Amino acid sequence: MRTQVPVVVAFLTGFALLVSFFFNENTWIGQISSEIKIWVTIVGGFTLLLGVVSITRVNWAAVKGRKEGWGYKVVTLISIFAMAIPAVFPSTWSPLFGRAEGSIYDWLFVYLDSPMMATMFATLAFYIASAAYRAFRARTPESTILLLTATAVMLWRVPMGEAFLNLFPGNIPEFLNTYIMNGANMAVQRGIIIGAALGAASMSLRIILGIERTYMGKG
Amino acid sequence: MNFIEIFEIWVIAFSTLALFSFLYKDNPIYKLAEHIFAGLSAGYYVGLIWDTVILQQLWNPMLDGRWWLIFPGILGILMFARFFPKFSWVSRTSLAFVMATTAGIFLISQLHGLVLPQLKATMLPLVSDAGIAATFSSIIVIIGVISTLIYFYFSKEHVGALGVTAKVGIWFIMISFGAHFGYTVMGRVSLLIGRVQFLYEDWIGSFSQIF
Amino acid sequence: METMDRRWIYLMVAIAVFIPFVFPANFPISITPETQKLYDAVEALPDSCTVMLVFDYYPSTIAECEPMTTAALHHFWRKNCKVITLSNIPLGGPSMAETVTRSIPPQYNKQYGIDFVNLGYKANYVAVLSGMGNSIESIFPTDNSGTPLSELPLMDSVYNYDDVAFIFEVADNATADYWVSIVNAQYGTPMGCGTTAVSAPKYYAFVDAGQFVGLLGGMKGAAEYEMLVGEKDKAVSGMSAQSLVHLLIIGLVLVGNIGFFLGRREEREAKI
Repeated sequence: MRTQVPVVVAFLTGFALLVSFFFNENTWIGQISSEIKIWVTIVGGFTLLLGVVSITRVNWAAVKGRKEGWGYKVVTLISIFAMAIPAVFPSTWSPLFGRAEGSIYDWLFVYLDSPMMATMFATLAFYIASAAYRAFRARTPESTILLLTATAVMLWRVPMGEAFLNLFPGNIPEFLNTYIMNGANMAVQRGIIIGAALGAASMSLRIILGIERTYMGKG
Repeated sequence: MNFIEIFEIWVIAFSTLALFSFLYKDNPIYKLAEHIFAGLSAGYYVGLIWDTVILQQLWNPMLDGRWWLIFPGILGILMFARFFPKFSWVSRTSLAFVMATTAGIFLISQLHGLVLPQLKATMLPLVSDAGIAATFSSIIVIIGVISTLIYFYFSKEHVGALGVTAKVGIWFIMISFGAHFGYTVMGRVSLLIGRVQFLYEDWIGSFSQIF
Repeated sequence: METMDRRWIYLMVAIAVFIPFVFPANFPISITPETQKLYDAVEALPDSCTVMLVFDYYPSTIAECEPMTTAALHHFWRKNCKVITLSNIPLGGPSMAETVTRSIPPQYNKQYGIDFVNLGYKANYVAVLSGMGNSIESIFPTDNSGTPLSELPLMDSVYNYDDVAFIFEVADNATADYWVSIVNAQYGTPMGCGTTAVSAPKYYAFVDAGQFVGLLGGMKGAAEYEMLVGEKDKAVSGMSAQSLVHLLIIGLVLVGNIGFFLGRREEREAKI
């Protein structure tokens, strides 16, 4: 019962969508598949909320247990509620509620959340520069190829670097675009895309047939 | 620029500099900003899902007569059974539904939308009418695709002809990864430029309004 | 040298990225064939057709992706296209679509609901992309703000992908793959892609196979598109800083390798 029901649900759902690919949307199988897709967008929404509940529980437990850094966890909890609560009230009650421009939700996103996320990722520029200096070494022929290609691409993709490359005879930027990016790089990416897609397709078949059940967890 | 606009710019500048302060060393201001960021991001999901999924996709259509949407609603609520160890197995049905839908769409789309078009684009005449350069390009692409696929084929030991082809594959892969590294540097630097553009143009620009 | 405090490197990067804003140096920005192809494809669209502009990026990559969506919107509205925006990104996607569309309308006198619509976000992008092939309204019964699609004049003539002339996907993640494998492959809608530099090398394969008509790779791609559209903005102005930091990183790699080879030689000599 605990595993059979999910396996049957997985088979029927997956099979319906698989078969619907070969039928018009106006057929009954097409309509079933269309309805399943609407249903899954709803269930998918709940899965995101699951993550939020999980974060709230973890932080709440840390605050309750007065664990190290619990004060910061209070800040996280306040931030979650400050963003979430005004957003779930209808904007008809007050322009500060809801998600529209001028709401608390929109303000917190535009002036705090969005720039903070951008900054978090911007710090990676410093780390990658440091890593390039410390770890990017021409130890072997393979790593030398990698290093040379990376250097050439870094030069080519910026105006100052391209002007420098143009000082040399031959059209180096065109060579890089034709034979590196659209040649060797494209061929490798194509190989990886084909391999990964075959893997994804076979995994999908395993899920539909109930062979792959690891997503269910234990118990 | 009015007072509110200046205040908003300074809020962004403070949060930006607070997060950058970690580059010097870990400190309480950074930690505070980091926890605010984590909380706001989680809270954003609640507002979005409440409005776009629960109200727009579930509740309002149900009120309009599509009562059967109660079933995905129940499947969604069952997901929360994961928080109760005794009943966590109940959430498997919802999870199976989501996984199988994705699998059902993927099975065909990955083959039809990725494998076949990419193979088709590779199966080109080796000798091109467009000239020597085009012929050379075609040869590079065909050798690159085959040798990469063989490099990632681990069911047989890489010896003999297979080993030589895999060795060619690794050389191609290194070129591609080098290009990837160059592009990654570019991407990360661009993100930093975005923040510096704000700090220089908007924040430092606001100084003249205040001082 | 190898034991140098990493914070000195951070300081060098910070200086290198700031200097060009104080003392800008303008080098010519060349247009790569991938960007030109995308521009030409949009240029060749019939006037007043309906297009989709997809905001599949997080706020983390706003510096690379927003110049693309902004330039694309200028290009579409200059051609009088009707624009449908949507996002498959739960963290910020619909808000960024609102911000970008809000920032441009006065210039072109475009009205919400008639000339552009923001569908917003729905969960599970695989089902969303596939479901819109049957009917957009089945997946998005309302727009981002909750207005039923039946009340938006633009959506009267748009039922599914058959009514969309072009899809401009701007992404910082794998959603671009699904737009290709689900939408382009099954419904045949022409598609162009703007992506972060990190993802760009992969998508050359899609351009070569004709699955994308063209490609914008990172801030440089965005700068090229801004040049072509004639709206020089943040991407173009960021190119000088990009140049200087690249040169700095190449210099650091060079110094690091010289140190490495000198160290190896010393080790060898010590052994002898």
